[in-house]
Amino acid sequence: MLIDINAYTGHWPFRQLQHTTCGARLQFMQKSGIDISMVSNLNGIFYKNTQSANEELYEALKLDRRFAGRIIPFAVINPIYAGWKDDLKKCTAGMGMKGVRLHPRYHRYALTHPYCIELVKRTRDLGLPIALSLRMVDRRVSSWLDISEEWSLKDVLPVIREVPDAKYVILNAVNSMQLTNEETNLLKGSDFLMDTSGRALTDLGNMIRSYGKEKFAYGSHSPILDHVTGLLRIESLRTEEAGEITKTLLRYKNAQAFFNL
Amino acid sequence: MQKKINRRSFVTHTVLSSAGLLLKIQGVQENSGSFANASLHKENEPALMKEVMKYRKIDSHAHVYFSADSPASQIDFADRLGIERLVISRNLEPFSGGTPEEFRRCNDLVIQCMKAYPNRFLGTMVLNPTYREASLEEIKRCVDAGMVGAGELYNQVKINDPAFYPIIEKFIDLKMILLMHSAIGRSRVVLDAGEPPNISLPEDFVEIAARYPEAMFQFAHTAGGIDWEYACKALANSPNVYVDISGSNNEAGMIDFALRHIGEDRLLFGCDNSFYQGVGHMLAANLTEIQRRKIFFDNYNAILKKSGRHVD
Repeated sequence: MLIDINAYTGHWPFRQLQHTTCGARLQFMQKSGIDISMVSNLNGIFYKNTQSANEELYEALKLDRRFAGRIIPFAVINPIYAGWKDDLKKCTAGMGMKGVRLHPRYHRYALTHPYCIELVKRTRDLGLPIALSLRMVDRRVSSWLDISEEWSLKDVLPVIREVPDAKYVILNAVNSMQLTNEETNLLKGSDFLMDTSGRALTDLGNMIRSYGKEKFAYGSHSPILDHVTGLLRIESLRTEEAGEITKTLLRYKNAQAFFNL
Repeated sequence: MQKKINRRSFVTHTVLSSAGLLLKIQGVQENSGSFANASLHKENEPALMKEVMKYRKIDSHAHVYFSADSPASQIDFADRLGIERLVISRNLEPFSGGTPEEFRRCNDLVIQCMKAYPNRFLGTMVLNPTYREASLEEIKRCVDAGMVGAGELYNQVKINDPAFYPIIEKFIDLKMILLMHSAIGRSRVVLDAGEPPNISLPEDFVEIAARYPEAMFQFAHTAGGIDWEYACKALANSPNVYVDISGSNNEAGMIDFALRHIGEDRLLFGCDNSFYQGVGHMLAANLTEIQRRKIFFDNYNAILKKSGRHVD
C-alpha cells in the first residue's frame, strides 16, 4: 500500500507536465504502484478565481467511478479573493474535498493576513488540514514570468503560532530546516505531517528521531518532481533508522490516520 | 473492486513497464573491490531497493569537502544507494582567485581521498588556465597520482576562452574528459545576479566543442538549477559534449527530455551529492533496460576506457 500525499492535476504554464488529467494520473498510479494520490488542481494557483479550478477537479473526478477513493481532492482557496467562505463550504461540504492547499506567494498575501487566519480556523473547525508547499518549482530554473521567492521551514511557523491547534501538511521541504529551540518546540507541539519529496530531507532518519515517526509520509510533488525520489528517502533508510513498522507508517499508515482515510 | 497495487510493484512497473521490457530481473551485480557489501542485499529488501542495487553505477559528478565528515559522508550515501564509484573533485570557490596554491590544495584533498578509498573514488583535478604553466604542471602531477580527468572546473575562465586551449589540447592527448560547471545563466532572461562573470553557458560549450571535436567535455548537472530544456536543446548537435543529470532539482521528465535531445550515449548518471535525486529520477525515467545501464555505468566507463583507466 502506498499513498502519495503530494500530487497534482492540471497544468503548469511554464513547462509541459505529464499526467495532468485524472485519467492520466490514475493510469500513472497503476503503472507506478501508487494506490492513492492526494491532489489539487495546479490551475488553482494561476486562476484569479481559484474556485474554477476546484470545480474542474470535482467535475473531472465525477467522470469515472474508478477515481473514487484513489484520487483524493484538495481545494485551493484564496482567502483574499471574494467569496472564499462560500468556496470553502462548497469544496468541503459539497464536493467532499479533504483539505485546503494554500499558495500565499502566488496569491500575494501573508500567512498572517487576518483572512488567512480565519480560513485556517474555519478549516480547523471542519476537522480538515491546511497544506503549505515551501515551493512549487526551483526558483533557479523557473520562468521569468514566475515568482522567484521560496520558503524555508520557519516561514510556515507564523500561521502555526496563530492557530496552533489546526492540522498542517508541510510539502516539498526545501532550503533551511534550521529552527530555534522555541520554533522547534512550536512545530513539535503542532499536528503536522511532512511529505518526503523535498530536497531538504537529506537525513530523514534524523528527522524521524527529532520529530517522531508519525510526522512523515510519502509524497512525490509529482508531476512537477519525479515520483521515485520521495520513496527512495524512505526505502533506503537502514534498519537502525527505520524498521519495517516505521516504513509502513511512512508509506501509508500515517497518511491514513492523518487524513482519516 | 479495484485490484490493489502493492508496494512491490512500484518500481517493477515504473522501471520495467515504462521501458516496455518486462525483463526478468537479473541478480545483483558483483562489484569489484571493497564495494561488495552483503548487508545491502538482503532477501527481504523492498522492491525499490532491489532495483536500486541492481544497477552498477558510476557517479560522474561528486565532490569531497574540507570538512570533518567528508569523505565518509559521501561513502555512506554511496553505500546506501549502491553507487560503486564516485568521480570526485573539490572545486575552486566560485569567486576565488583560483591561484595555483588553491587548486593544488583542492587536488591534494582529492588525492588523499583516492588513497583512502582506492576502489570507490576516481579523482578529477581542478585548474585555472590563467596560470598556464602551473596548470600544465598540475595536470602531470594529478595524472601521475591516478586522476582520470578535469573537473569540476568553475568560473575562473570560460570554457571557450583561448586561455583554455592548451589545457584542452593536453586533455585530448590524455584522452580524458573535462567537466565544467553549468549555470543558472539566463534562465530568467537576464544573467542571474549571483553568477560570476566568467560562468560558462551552453553556447560556450557548443563553441569549444566545435573547435575541438576530438576533445570530450562534460556539461554539468541538468538538475543543478539550470534551464535543462534550454541546455539540452543547445547541446543537441555537439556530439563530443556529454551531459550529466546530477543535481538537486529532480524535475519529472528531465531525463526523458534529455534522452530525446542528447541521446542515450551522451548522458551520464551523477548526483552532485544530491544522492536521492540522482538515483530517484533515473529510476523514474522512461528508459529501456539498456539505456538505464548505459547512463548509470557504461557511458562513463567507456570514457575511462579511452585513457585505459576504466573500472573493468
